Amino acid sequence: MTTSAQNLTSRNGQVTQVVAVLPSIEYDLIRAHIVASLVTVVISVLFGITVATKFSFPEFLGGHGWLTWGRLRYNHTQGIFFGWLGNAFLAFFYYVVPRLANRPVWSRKLGWLLFGIWNFAVVLPGWVLVLNGISKPLEWGEFPHVVDVFVILAFILMTFEFVLPFLKAALSDLYVAAWYIIGGIIFTMLAYPVGNIVPELVPGARGAAFSGLWIHDAVGLYVTPFALAIAYYVIPATTRRPIFSHFLSMVGFWLLFFMYPLNGTHHYVYSVIPMSAQKGAIVASAYLGMDVILVVTNLLLSLRGNSGTASKDVPLRFVWFGVVAYLVVSLQGSVQALMPVNRFIHFTDWVIGHSHLAMIGFASFIALGGIAHLWQRIPRTRYNERTMNWSFWLLATGLTLMVADLTIAGLVEAQVWESSAPWIDSIRAVGSYWLVRTLSGLPILAGFLLFWTSLVTGPKLSGATLSVASPVASENKAAFEDVSPVSVIPRSSSWLSYAHVVAFGAGVGFFALSFLVLAIIPGNQLEHEIKQAAPVTMANLTASEQRGRIIYGREGCAYCHTQQIRFLAADVRRFGAPTEAWETKYDYPQLWGTRRIGPDLSREFNLRPCDWQLTHLYNPRLVVQDSVMPPYPWLFDGSPGHPTQEGLDVLAYIQSLGRARQLSGFDGRWLASSVRSETPDMAMSNEPLAGATPPAVPIAMVGGYSLSAPILHPAADPGDLQEEVSRGGALFAANCASCHGSGGGGDGKASASLLPKPANLTAARFSDERLSSVLWNGVAGSAMPPWRQLPTEDLRALIAYIQSVNAPGATPRIQEAAGLGKALFAATCASCHGVTGEGNGPAAGALAPAPTNFHLKKPTEERAWDVLENGVPGTAMPPWRNQLSADERHALLEFVRSLYDPPQENEGQ
Amino acid sequence: MINLIVILTTAIMFALLLVWWRWPVFRIWIEAPKYSMLRQEHRFNDQDTEQETATNLSSNGKHT
Repeated sequence: MTTSAQNLTSRNGQVTQVVAVLPSIEYDLIRAHIVASLVTVVISVLFGITVATKFSFPEFLGGHGWLTWGRLRYNHTQGIFFGWLGNAFLAFFYYVVPRLANRPVWSRKLGWLLFGIWNFAVVLPGWVLVLNGISKPLEWGEFPHVVDVFVILAFILMTFEFVLPFLKAALSDLYVAAWYIIGGIIFTMLAYPVGNIVPELVPGARGAAFSGLWIHDAVGLYVTPFALAIAYYVIPATTRRPIFSHFLSMVGFWLLFFMYPLNGTHHYVYSVIPMSAQKGAIVASAYLGMDVILVVTNLLLSLRGNSGTASKDVPLRFVWFGVVAYLVVSLQGSVQALMPVNRFIHFTDWVIGHSHLAMIGFASFIALGGIAHLWQRIPRTRYNERTMNWSFWLLATGLTLMVADLTIAGLVEAQVWESSAPWIDSIRAVGSYWLVRTLSGLPILAGFLLFWTSLVTGPKLSGATLSVASPVASENKAAFEDVSPVSVIPRSSSWLSYAHVVAFGAGVGFFALSFLVLAIIPGNQLEHEIKQAAPVTMANLTASEQRGRIIYGREGCAYCHTQQIRFLAADVRRFGAPTEAWETKYDYPQLWGTRRIGPDLSREFNLRPCDWQLTHLYNPRLVVQDSVMPPYPWLFDGSPGHPTQEGLDVLAYIQSLGRARQLSGFDGRWLASSVRSETPDMAMSNEPLAGATPPAVPIAMVGGYSLSAPILHPAADPGDLQEEVSRGGALFAANCASCHGSGGGGDGKASASLLPKPANLTAARFSDERLSSVLWNGVAGSAMPPWRQLPTEDLRALIAYIQSVNAPGATPRIQEAAGLGKALFAATCASCHGVTGEGNGPAAGALAPAPTNFHLKKPTEERAWDVLENGVPGTAMPPWRNQLSADERHALLEFVRSLYDPPQENEGQ
Repeated sequence: MINLIVILTTAIMFALLLVWWRWPVFRIWIEAPKYSMLRQEHRFNDQDTEQETATNLSSNGKHT
């Protein structure tokens, strides 16, 4: 402690000199936390840029699990959350708490212990463990439980270090920044365990209700209060004028703590979580927007008369930018929660832009302003103003570009998702936006580096401390001294001192209310619903599937693939029936996800064969040329055909998704009880359960056999046909070549690991009917998916192109086949291919892929001979070279050719 | 539940406005912290300035 003489000037003009003891400030701890914050922010931004780069170059650093997208993404957000913002906030607390409490922090030793725990028991081991595959798939809670223990411990220590000084000081007046610091520490300490541990204990939809709370509490009860504490301190300290209204600031404070916890469920609008909880969260979101208008108005009015302030004082400019960003991002958040908007932009990059605006534009800018402000005021440190200025503009430019880019990208994605276009089209549509996003990260990284540089290249000072040299401050010197002493409050009103206690109790009450309203009550409703709806035979995951689920979580799959089909027509049309609560009965923790880069996986059971899934896992671009999904080669022994046990476990888990639903007959019951032939637009229906009906027609995206496959014929006019072939070629290259090869020879990159092999389109002549059927329905039992989500004209163009590469020489044998071939066919082939070769033999119904219909698919002689010799691996067609002699096989071949229909009119063109 | 949130929040807001309007002493009390914060900032700055001056004088003395 040191002594200080202070002149207090009251409003009646009396001047009194007060000799007071000033509490000491732990400058070493401030410096240590600032250095830690800057080290971690640079690392975290590098994680982010790497993650963003992988959208454009999925193979970039893709060979090892430690550098895969999911793990780096976890570390990006957790690094920003704990490493950067946590350290920046702590640095500011050490500076501001002694000033506001008029007491030093609790203990210097405790401070160093806290520093050690925060950085060397939370941030560093958290990063290492996540990279090593030990994590939780919970948004904003990705560090594993062993780290959670230290986070909670750290918050307990923070309570001692920063809250107890206020309690010991027993101040009659507590500045709003102190309220935010105390509130943030206490409420985060309460919310963290609930958000990070409860979802592991409460499954599926019920757990999601808790997860939703934490997703928002992390921002609302940790980031926002501490950032606002900085803003509320830096603005008056720089301008040397009191804030506009402390009353409004307190109204804003309590509304924030009342409303923020109630927002969480707006991340699950249109989900199975009871609509009352969803609507409650939406209303709370609207209230929060009003609260933020109040807070920001108060902060900006505090800058009244200082129009040039931000241009002169860089730290204040950082804070001003952060306050404006806070207004924008909060209003954006309120609007996003509204159902007509949410249905459109949720899961898109719009939300990613929103979160970057919150975490960089709002929180980071204010934290940077806070650091710069106090750096100028701690012993022997000054920043380099020129470099600091550059840092501001680089960060502002990069952020603006990133948010604008992601917002537009989100709208593009939403538009594609609303259509019937294939999912991959949304990836293609935003490819250039993702590249711009990556590039926009570079000025942000440069901005943070320059900020660091500005701190270490400032003027060297030999003196012990500082005097505040802000030009703005000196201009407002008079105002600074115009302070109103507290002593004017009459003693009879001392009851007001207890208002803090009442308000604190109310805050805790509201916090508890949020869990009651948004988690416990909806959870009980969901539990009741699960008990009623879940099939009694619903089996838990097998051991392999459970292991696969853990791997799925650790690799961050849930951050690109939702497992939550919302009660929306667009979702249902694309993915299938909406996700019911009972389907998530065994999901510990829930993996619903809040973002879709890839498609939803809720209905993956029986959708694609194992060889496709394994090839896709090994390298997604082998089967989906424009996919941006990361490769997972560490789940394989060198090739897609050799998965490790972990690879098999992931496969087992993916193949289990939606199994209970399909096997339960649940959709059949619903369909039987509903007369709706089409899925209504459920967006504005009263209640999800009342409005949701699975579509009568199978889903466009996921296939299922449709009896209504049309027969598409290419154009008859040669000119039009040529145009169709040309367009079909482009479509083929984009969608088919990865399996069928660029020339259609069945030798694409994926062919090595697919069984049966992709069809060699040059070795047979396919009829319009056959190609139409395959494109419409896919080929059951093979990796060939349905493509009927493409426009009809595209399918027609594909048929035209495929027929242009078909073998022209597969002509039918005109004369009647010899009796030997016919007899052999009847004896050995007809049980599958049918007596007439239409692929409709008695055994055909049980075979997938189905036996060839020789009237629709006419293999060349060479191909037919090869099949007779070697069979078709991966199908029921066996090799016949050991059972039949060469003459017999020739006779059989001749008979098969006799089954071919005459050429179509345009065949051979 | 929505009604509860709306009613509760509205009631609290009106109660605060009522208190603000009815009891002037409340206004003084609620606004006091913004002045005390600045007083504290002033005290710390004065101390810092004094220490800096003292340090500069001391270092100047050494050089001469």
